[in-house]
Amino acid sequence: MTAVVARELEKRFGSTVGLNRIDLDIQAGSTTAILGPNGAGKSTLLRLIAGLARPSSGTIEVSGRSAHHRISRARVGFIGHATGLYPELTARENLLFAARLRSVPNASARVEEQLAEAGLTRAADRRTGGFSRGMAQRLSIAVGLIDDPEIVLLDEPFTGLDRTASDRLVERLMGLRQNDRTLVLVSHDVTLAAKLADAAVVLRRGKIAHRDSGGDLDPSTLENAYTAASDRDVA
Amino acid sequence: MNALLAVLWKDLLTEWRSRDRAIAMLLFSMLMVVIFHFSLPGGATTATRAYAPGLLWVAYVFAALLGLGRSFAIELENDAIEGLARAPVDRGWVLLGKTIANLLILGFVQAVTACIFALVFEMDLLPIALELIGVVALGSIGLCSVGTFFAAIAVRTRLREVMLPLLALPFYTPVLIAASRATNALFETGSVPFEPIQFLIVTDASYLIVSFILSDFVLDE
Repeated sequence: MTAVVARELEKRFGSTVGLNRIDLDIQAGSTTAILGPNGAGKSTLLRLIAGLARPSSGTIEVSGRSAHHRISRARVGFIGHATGLYPELTARENLLFAARLRSVPNASARVEEQLAEAGLTRAADRRTGGFSRGMAQRLSIAVGLIDDPEIVLLDEPFTGLDRTASDRLVERLMGLRQNDRTLVLVSHDVTLAAKLADAAVVLRRGKIAHRDSGGDLDPSTLENAYTAASDRDVA
Repeated sequence: MNALLAVLWKDLLTEWRSRDRAIAMLLFSMLMVVIFHFSLPGGATTATRAYAPGLLWVAYVFAALLGLGRSFAIELENDAIEGLARAPVDRGWVLLGKTIANLLILGFVQAVTACIFALVFEMDLLPIALELIGVVALGSIGLCSVGTFFAAIAVRTRLREVMLPLLALPFYTPVLIAASRATNALFETGSVPFEPIQFLIVTDASYLIVSFILSDFVLDE
């Protein structure tokens, strides 16, 4: 079953082309890495899947509906560059707000579950304005997963994390994989992407420069594709 | 409805903790009242009191613009606006939740400003307090509904502080005319004519409905 389908997908920002007529299928239950140099269109693609932006032309569907539709938005969890947290609210309140906004049944119990998963139970009543980057990122991931979405989009989630926090996040992502969640991971870390993903797409200037969906990804092939995309970009 | 209540709860709690919007709005509107008092010839005379409704609404509208601008600026911090945009509901509920939060914060600022106003201009507003609350509430619904809508648009623009008044003020004009006419009649006769009230109700309803319908587009990138 296909979780995300993009056809002739194009996104323009004025005269700048963010994505240039791309076709993409992401299988349900798979982990897809989206790689590419800065400005390749990785985050734009992720934001279109998340329903945060509309395509300039072409279509993007999540589980058979337009990605922008509210039912599609309910199926997708998004963990972006920024934490999306309110510094005046505590960790528990941030989670409770996300749970209420997304109409999570039994919100309080789900919040406590997510606090425990993120290892933040002891810091639950502290305002997030005083959190370290690692703590804020862990909470941000918990917020993104509050309604146990079928599809989880991660936009460079390892940025700013120390080794322990990174390992913890990898563990969490592995857990999601085992629970048949569809993961779409934007990253610059080719080795990590090859370790986590079973499909990969390398973007260059809004176009797909390389695809790999063979299951076990070969890090060296991906590295070469990534380097080629970056080199051509520099040239 | 859940989304509306969630946004309302979050906005009021955030404001209660920081108090930055209410204090800024309050200081601004109080300063305006004091300046009006000292700039008008003769201070609190019958002649200057004739200007009172207009002056009161000028203070209210600029305080509202100040607060409305901030209401979406706090969503930009840490890109929390993405969470709102991704809510799996009609985005109109999100916008309505913010509108009600803005209305309550503005209502608090308006109440304190009216007290200072009565004190400075030596006016007894107590006998007409209920009617005044009604007129101010109707006027404020118009200001906050269209103001919140445009604040959501302006927040993603480069010149958001300038953009919000530019977008909102033309739509504020009919509300302000009707609200100051009703307030004027209230101050002069102690009763409110139906015509401006009717106009305010129709304008408020139109602004709320149009904002709700178009809300799906304003939170997009």
